[in-house]
Amino acid sequence: MTTLDNHPDKKLEEYEIDTLTNKRLLKDHEYDGIRELDNDLPGWWKWLFIITIVFSIFYLVRLWVFRADDLIQAKEFDKEMAGAQASKPPVAEFQISLLTDAVSMASGKETWTKICAVCHLVDGGGLVGPNMTDNYWIHGNTVEDMFAIVTNGVIEKGMIPYKDQLSPKQRLEVVSYIINEIVGSTPATPKEPQGELIN
Amino acid sequence: MELQKFTYENRITRLFMNATILWGIVGMLVGLIIALELIFPHMSQNIPWLSFGRLRPLHTNAVIFAFVGNGMFAGIYYSTPRLLKTPMFSELLGKIHFWGWQLIIVAAAITLPLGYTVGKEYAELEWPIDIAIALIWVVFGINLIMTTIKRRTKHIYVAIWFYIATFVTVAVLHIVNSIAIPVSFLKSYPVYAGIQDALVQWWYGHNAVAFFLTTPYLGLMYYFVPKAANRPIYSYKLSIIHFWALIFLYIWAGPHHLLYSALPDWAQALGVVFSVMLIAPSWGGMINGLLTLRGAWDKVRESPVLKMFVVGITAYGMATFEGPMLSLKSVNAISHFTDWTIAHVHIGALGWNGMITFGMLYWMFPKLYNTKLFSVKLANAHFWLATTGMLFFAIPLYFAGFTQSLMWKQFTEEGYLAYPNFIETVVQILPMYYIRAFGGALYITGVILMIYNLIKTAGIGKFVSSEDDEAPALHTHKHEVDKGHRIIEGKPVLFTILTLVAILIGGIVEFVPMFMVKSNVPTIASVQPYTPLELQGRDIYLREGCYVCHSQMIRPFRSEVERYGEYSKAGEAVYDHPFQYGSKRTGPDLAREGVKGGPIYKPDSWHYNHFLDPQKMVAQSIMPPYPWLITRDLDISSTPKKIRVMQSLGVPYPEGYAEKANDDLLKQANQIAQGLRDGGIEVEDTKEVIALIAYIQRLGTDIKKTE
Repeated sequence: MTTLDNHPDKKLEEYEIDTLTNKRLLKDHEYDGIRELDNDLPGWWKWLFIITIVFSIFYLVRLWVFRADDLIQAKEFDKEMAGAQASKPPVAEFQISLLTDAVSMASGKETWTKICAVCHLVDGGGLVGPNMTDNYWIHGNTVEDMFAIVTNGVIEKGMIPYKDQLSPKQRLEVVSYIINEIVGSTPATPKEPQGELIN
Repeated sequence: MELQKFTYENRITRLFMNATILWGIVGMLVGLIIALELIFPHMSQNIPWLSFGRLRPLHTNAVIFAFVGNGMFAGIYYSTPRLLKTPMFSELLGKIHFWGWQLIIVAAAITLPLGYTVGKEYAELEWPIDIAIALIWVVFGINLIMTTIKRRTKHIYVAIWFYIATFVTVAVLHIVNSIAIPVSFLKSYPVYAGIQDALVQWWYGHNAVAFFLTTPYLGLMYYFVPKAANRPIYSYKLSIIHFWALIFLYIWAGPHHLLYSALPDWAQALGVVFSVMLIAPSWGGMINGLLTLRGAWDKVRESPVLKMFVVGITAYGMATFEGPMLSLKSVNAISHFTDWTIAHVHIGALGWNGMITFGMLYWMFPKLYNTKLFSVKLANAHFWLATTGMLFFAIPLYFAGFTQSLMWKQFTEEGYLAYPNFIETVVQILPMYYIRAFGGALYITGVILMIYNLIKTAGIGKFVSSEDDEAPALHTHKHEVDKGHRIIEGKPVLFTILTLVAILIGGIVEFVPMFMVKSNVPTIASVQPYTPLELQGRDIYLREGCYVCHSQMIRPFRSEVERYGEYSKAGEAVYDHPFQYGSKRTGPDLAREGVKGGPIYKPDSWHYNHFLDPQKMVAQSIMPPYPWLITRDLDISSTPKKIRVMQSLGVPYPEGYAEKANDDLLKQANQIAQGLRDGGIEVEDTKEVIALIAYIQRLGTDIKKTE
């Protein structure tokens, strides 16, 4: 261990030594009793700084000079969308006919609660959207009619198309759920009938 | 060498310390209230000024400008005279500074809950208060700079460098970002719009973190850590390098708040690289703080002050590593708009600012009362409450942010969004919100212990209102020639000017092209100014603080385009004074809420019912109700003035339109209200809700007109 007496620094008289860490204190650096050591920048710190600067130069050159696709967000987006299109499974043959099995009903109910109830209420009594429990229909009451409404919406009335948000299977399940479970039930606060009576 | 006698005035320090404690507890309690409001949306009891959107700005402003602000001034007024061996330049300026700042805080605490807001985050205060802030800040600056000129030490210490940088930069940031044209006494429109406003705002917002929460506290660290540990600063060289690197680089990094937004790629890239380059300069501060304790770790074990400093500095190191990581586009794509950001900033606020403030108070109080701390045990308990409180706060939010983001982005095998209804992703993370509130409560409990402990300390001691000291006059110092950095350390005015130059460069390089080069904000011909009713509705949107929970910026990702519609373009917001991109999605993005047939469109009647009672429409919603929108009449007397101010800002309403605007407003209001009445909703044309619905239904629609 070095001590004051055998410290390697020759100009010892210019410095004082901090006895706890055995490092040089700077002369005349004293502010309200606070002294400063003459330690060098830690090596790893210097390298960290240099590496981040080099990274930054590379990054900017890649964008500004080489116009790298992954740094241009419009291109990045197009690539993501193209990739999603390519990986979409082929549309399977699909038949629109009323489902009744328990699994489909459970799944239909889930979609109903999460999505449809926001406007038609959970019990189907209607609020913003029409009452789904009565036998009055604005756009028809067959499975095909209702599947088409869920798929394409009725934009002028505020019903949005769900073709991009629900799969055909989910749409059929929820339509089947409405026909099997909602129609004919007794909601708490039914909205007045809209459309024509179809029995 | 003849010694001059002088005294240090402690009363001003005590005033600022007391204000720190008072506003600290207020700001944190408001934070706890809004944390609970996220769990219990009806907690605000339909009282407008208690609603989340109005209290959240109060929480952020109180913690930043009142708690940390007074904390920094307490430390600066204590350390500056002692470091420069002179009293502060002017006792009167100090008093004006203190009382002016407290009045500003009171004004903020009244106006923000009442809904007077500019609608720009952390810069919400309206123009008369903004002017007061600028004036009081200059008073502080004059007092600081004149004290450095009157000093008796030959050189200024690194703490003072940081204080100077704080004064200079905050002045520039605040003035440039706050420029606005008044509409009335407490209403104004910012001169910038859309993406340009966003760039200025986040240059301000990011550097408020840098120069209000970071540089002054680094200055305090450089004074109080070596004082409390009685150890020399680890490295003077490191001080120099990390100071200049930090202030020069920081100012460029604002665009990292706008990654994947409508900001041009070149500007986003600057935000990324300057954030990455900040790691080392930030860590320079951490190293100089922690390594100063080398040889004194035995003291750290015994002293609650040093323990708090160590945790504070460590939190600073964590936050300043995390910040650059969040600025990488791939990470930001996940973290942005989620609770991850909230966790990140609270590591900074609770850890760095909180712990340094507490440590400083525990050190200064006994000094000013010439006694020992009443109870070291209680202070240790505070330390553990604060540390565990911080962890209970942050860890659940990291988890919540990550979870929710992944849910937003998840697709089913068939290629549909796995969670098309936003509320599912909210319900998933609600348990994390409970734990966060618990963490916050722990943290506040610690602060209450501190208050008790400090009051007791004051009780057992006797206040030392002034302390005598002596030092030789400045001109009697030996005429040794300074070399290198020592030269400017001996010339504080030159130092101040160099600091100003260093912090201006980044802003200028980013702003000039954004404002001068047209291609940076590509024009969209179909984008038109808001109708008078929509404009009034937009002001209600601002007033209620909708932007604190809803973004208006659809990022160019498949998951967002599928959920919300076409991604947002810069040209769409050119009449948005101020921009409303937002920074957090507690609820869904609203940028295309009005697009009929779009994935999140809802009819007028839905919005009406939803404002009245959100849970009626979305049972699990955590949005509070806004019944007052339905009962309150829209103030249309302000319409002509608002149109005229917008015209003066370059919004192309036809000449003389201001006088006719209310005709159009009433016509449009009647149309919307009639539609609602046709659907069985009893509502008058003139209610505020009609204007807000008009605005909501306009959002994102202009771009579709050409198709």
